[in-house]
Amino acid sequence: MNGAHDLGGMHGFGPINREPDEPVFHAEWERRAFAITLAMGAHGAWNLDMSRYARERMEPGEYLRTSYYEHWLFGLQLLLTEKGFLSEAEIEQRMRDIADETNAGSES
Amino acid sequence: MPVLKAENVAAALREGSTARLAQDLPARFVCGQRVRVANINPQDHTRIPRYVRGHVGVVDSDQGVFIFPDAHARGEKVAQRLYSVRFTGTELWGPQGKADTAVYVDLFESYLAPQ
Repeated sequence: MNGAHDLGGMHGFGPINREPDEPVFHAEWERRAFAITLAMGAHGAWNLDMSRYARERMEPGEYLRTSYYEHWLFGLQLLLTEKGFLSEAEIEQRMRDIADETNAGSES
Repeated sequence: MPVLKAENVAAALREGSTARLAQDLPARFVCGQRVRVANINPQDHTRIPRYVRGHVGVVDSDQGVFIFPDAHARGEKVAQRLYSVRFTGTELWGPQGKADTAVYVDLFESYLAPQ
């Protein structure tokens, strides 16, 4: 697929900034996205190359604006919905529930 | 695929998994041989970076036999030999490249043709 993931030889992206003592995860949700991706890999409903192809199907503009684990999360959600584990409506409902819980928590 | 039980998770993570296969296959190319990379543009998964498509390189090493990712992304498990191919900067980037730049790309056998 000729997508935004294939960056070799592209101009204008600037230098790679190395982070001293870089942590494995920069946010708690990244740790969870990584763990759920590996756990679902063990399920066997898809393989590594299907996971890569799923990440490649992110809309190119969005792909370039988002971080590494956002690509992982996108690929995971795409495979979970394509293989029938979750519906998009269920994911959206859960996101609304979490937003409501967060808002309720901040008001108390 | 065997069920991964909770008590086996730590060992499974420690050992990891590999796409390398024990199966042997005849090698179509030898080290030092000039090869041209296929110019293909499939809408699904491939591991050929765009910047080497259609270009000529030299086989630097034979990496062995692996699961072929392009077919695996469609759910087919096919064994194929993988080579590390060396390209010069000028071959890939023309006048903006350097002749003494060496770019190594791992490429599967079906991506390559004798040159």
